[in-house]
This record gives sequence, C-alpha cells and structure tokens, in this order.
Amino acid sequence: MIGTAKKPFDEILAALQGFQKIGMVGCDGCAKVCLTGGSDEVAALAQELKAQGKEIVFEASPERTCNMAKAKPILDPLKDQIQASDALLVLGCGGAVQITRYVTETLGLTLPVKTGLNSVGHMDTTVPGTVAVEQCQECGDCILNDTGGICPVTKCAKGLLNGPCGGSEDGKCEVDPARDCAWVLIYNRMVALGEVDTLKKFVGAKDYSKAAKPRTLYIKEGRVA
Amino acid sequence: MKLTQAFKNKEFVITSEVGPVKGCARNGHNAAFIAEAATIKSYVHAINVTDNQSAVMRLGSLAASVLLKHAGLEPIYQLTCRDRNRIALQSDLLSACTLGIDNVLCLTGDHLKLGDHPTGKGVFDIDSVQLLDIARGLNQGHDMMGNDLTAASDLALGAVVNPNFQPLDLQLLKMEKKIAAGAEFFQTQAVYDPKLFEAFVRKVEGFGVPIQFGLVLLKSPKMGKFMNEHVSGIKVPQALIDEMASVPEAGYKDKSLAIATRLLKEISPMVQGIHFMPLGWSDLVPQLAATAQDASR
Ligand code: SF4
Ligand code: SF4
Repeated sequence: MIGTAKKPFDEILAALQGFQKIGMVGCDGCAKVCLTGGSDEVAALAQELKAQGKEIVFEASPERTCNMAKAKPILDPLKDQIQASDALLVLGCGGAVQITRYVTETLGLTLPVKTGLNSVGHMDTTVPGTVAVEQCQECGDCILNDTGGICPVTKCAKGLLNGPCGGSEDGKCEVDPARDCAWVLIYNRMVALGEVDTLKKFVGAKDYSKAAKPRTLYIKEGRVA
Repeated sequence: MKLTQAFKNKEFVITSEVGPVKGCARNGHNAAFIAEAATIKSYVHAINVTDNQSAVMRLGSLAASVLLKHAGLEPIYQLTCRDRNRIALQSDLLSACTLGIDNVLCLTGDHLKLGDHPTGKGVFDIDSVQLLDIARGLNQGHDMMGNDLTAASDLALGAVVNPNFQPLDLQLLKMEKKIAAGAEFFQTQAVYDPKLFEAFVRKVEGFGVPIQFGLVLLKSPKMGKFMNEHVSGIKVPQALIDEMASVPEAGYKDKSLAIATRLLKEISPMVQGIHFMPLGWSDLVPQLAATAQDASR
C-alpha cells in the first residue's frame, strides 16, 4: 500500500485559489485504507470546500486510481463534468494524481490537477485503521532472503547493510527511541531461525542503478528499465 | 606517522580528539581547536578530527586535519558515510592521502536528525564496513569498481566499536566484518563501567587488532544525565553521576580527573591504547596519559 496523509486544509485551499468549480477524485484503494481519500473522505472534504464557497462539480472514487484499468472506466464517462471543472482535486497518492492528470490528457482536456494528500511511503497496515508502517523502498534488488524478512534498507534509519551502527540502545534506534533498531530485530530473528552465519557475510555496496529513477516495468517481460 | 606503526612497535598509543570550529579558519585564524591540540602535542600519538560530529555542520575534517598536520600534530582524519556518496568518499580518501594524512577513521556517522540540519537528506550510500573495504582497495591501487589508480593511497585504517551495545554479539559480528574488511585498529565508544569493558575485551582478545579504550571526560553530573538521556549508545552509571554531584561545582574538574584516573588504572592493562575525548578539558590529558602509560605496563 502507498501510505498517504492529508495536507492541511489551508494548503489545499491555497492550491485551489482562483478555481471555483472543483471536480473531486478519490481512491478506494490505498487512500481508503489510510482514511484519507476513499469515497467518505472525498464527501467530507467536498462539504468543507463548499463551506468555503467552492462548487463541487462531481465526486468519484475509482477502486484504484493509480491503475488506468480502474480509473479510466470511471473517469471517461465524466468527461463533461471534468471539462466543466476549473480544476480537479485528487485525494490519492502521487501516482493517483498523475494517472488522473494522464486520463484528462487522453480525453483531450487541459486543466490543473491538484492533490490534497502527501504520499508518505510504501507501507503496510499493522493495526487496521490505526497504524501503517513503512516496509520497502523498492530498491530493485531485494535482500529480504538474507535478513530474516526484515528490510534494513527501509527500517534502519541509515539503511545499513552489514549490521548496526553504534547508536542503538536497549534495542531502540538512535534516531527515535520510540522505534526498534532494525538490526537488533534482524539479529534476534536470525538467531531464532538459526541463520546468524548469513549475517556474518560481507555485503558489498548496493547497486543503486537498480533504483535509478524513473524506472519502467515492462509487465509482460518482467523487465525493468 | 601511521598509528599502525606505533602499535607494531608495541607502544601504548594515546590519542585525543578535537572538533573543528563552526566557521572558517583561513590561515589558521579562529582555530581554537588547533591551539587546544597543540598544548598536548607531546603527550599524544595523534589527534582525531571529527567529521561534522553529531551531524552539526562545521569546518571539514580534512581541512582541519591538514591544519593540525601543519601545526606539527598527527591527525586521524574521521570520515563518515552520512554526507558523501561512493565517489565523494573515494575521492576524499585520495585527497587526504595527497595532503599528507596517514590515518583515517571510517565511520557511519550520526544521523542528520540529531544535528543542526535535520531537514537534510542523509546519503548513507555506503556503510562503514564497505568504506573500510573500499579504502583498503584504494591502498591496493584500485577503486571500488576495480579501475586502476595512477598511484595507490597509503592510509592506516581505523574503525570504531561500541562495547555498550546490547546484544554485544551483534556489535562484535560487525566488528569482525570491519576487521575482515581492513580495519587495523579500533577506538571504542565511551565506557564508564570497567566490568562491562572487561567482558568486551574477553570476547575480542582473539581478534588480533589493537584496541584503544574510549574515554569521554565526565565534566558534571548534568553531563552524565544528559548523555544517559540523549546520547544513544552511552551509559553513565548513576554511581558516577552521584559521585560528581557530591562535590561543589568548583570541584568538578578534580573529581573528573579522579574518576578518569580510576577508570584508566583498571582498564589500561586490558588495551593497547587510550582514546581521550576531553571536550575542552585537554589540560587534563597529559596527567591522564601518564597514568594510563604507567598502568599499562
Ligand atoms: S530489500 Fe529492497 S525490495 Fe526488499 S523490502 Fe527492502 S527496499 Fe524493498
Ligand atoms: S540504531 Fe539501528 S536502526 Fe537506527 S540507524 Fe543505527 S543500526 Fe539503523
């Protein structure tokens, strides 16, 4: 899931300054899980914007706005309403915003597409409705097989690959004592699995060319370029 | 001179540490840290020069190391992975050697969030184990991609280890990786508990690398409390904090000296040297260095 958090209302208003008629696009995928952009949140924000004198032209929440296959069948039939809007406001991740923009372009429309959310990471929900934790940086060369299924690239604040820094104390991270040190977690798990020897192997410098952006995934071939 | 040579000569190696100023020190002006280091010149083998310590932006450790060298002191150039990618790290190692530096201490570096630029982007392209491996490669005449250098570097490679770390075996696992990657000597994080340090030494005796005990001078009860609360990875026993607090403020320095003397007497026989972090009280270093030398024999 892509984690999202709401932008402050004032920032949204500033982004919509000068635009009266607003079309609203949410996402009933990740943003719904984060309680930031599902149909309910779109409706609630629509009310707030109306209270500020905006006109809401339409509200729509595709099942996954980042996926053209889901977004286009919902947005294409709304072409007239999109055209009647001064701007679109998307409550979705950065991908959802850009796919929405792309859909408007495929419809031959040119209008501002704004976002009401901040994307905050590739996360997974650990306590439903309450907590989501960042799990992966999409490094392009997954090492979870060697780290007990705990990602040091993401969960160690410094992304260390050969073991912990010296700053960990009582199993917590030097950067935030509220957070577990990823390397202590990895070590304890590898001890439990009887795989500590794996951690003794030197891990060379990571190949960041595999994470060089922007990447394209050719789905049929499974090729990344 | 390379520190490794002193260890080979079976000398008990004393180093101290200075933090570069937060500002320009052109022509050596406004370089109080140089003056501080110069006062203990004849009592130490070398002086560590911290690299934007605690992620607080300052004069660079390479420039400061060169200033120390010009002042006739032997610098240990600290190099962290926090602010440089692999190209910059290798280039800086070559620069250091070119400018006459003989010793480098390879570190991960404190996280930006702890310093005065918390909104910056941490680099951490390379970790400390990889940095040692890369630095060894430069000493052997090639960069990390295997490309030949016109001339190899010639740097003694140091590393750090934290005996306070729990679980200790995890810290030692990393220490062994550092040794395998080329670390030739170690300086420890500050330790205030001789029992804890002894347990650490027992475990690393067979590693075959010289170890310097790291001693941060405890300057006040407040500082002890601060380190316990805010400096992750260091533990000051409450008994030591109480001992400092048992004297009036004017007596802190004497008390600090007494505590450090005690620690050195117990720990010096276990190690191959001492690394002092005097935090401005460099005037205590000569006497403490003598105590450590005596105790080590
Ligand atoms: S190793 Fe890379 S791909 Fe695997 S979880 Fe971590 S960041 Fe994601
Ligand atoms: S304390 Fe642990 S998680 Fe935090 S930066 Fe150091 S090794 Fe990484």
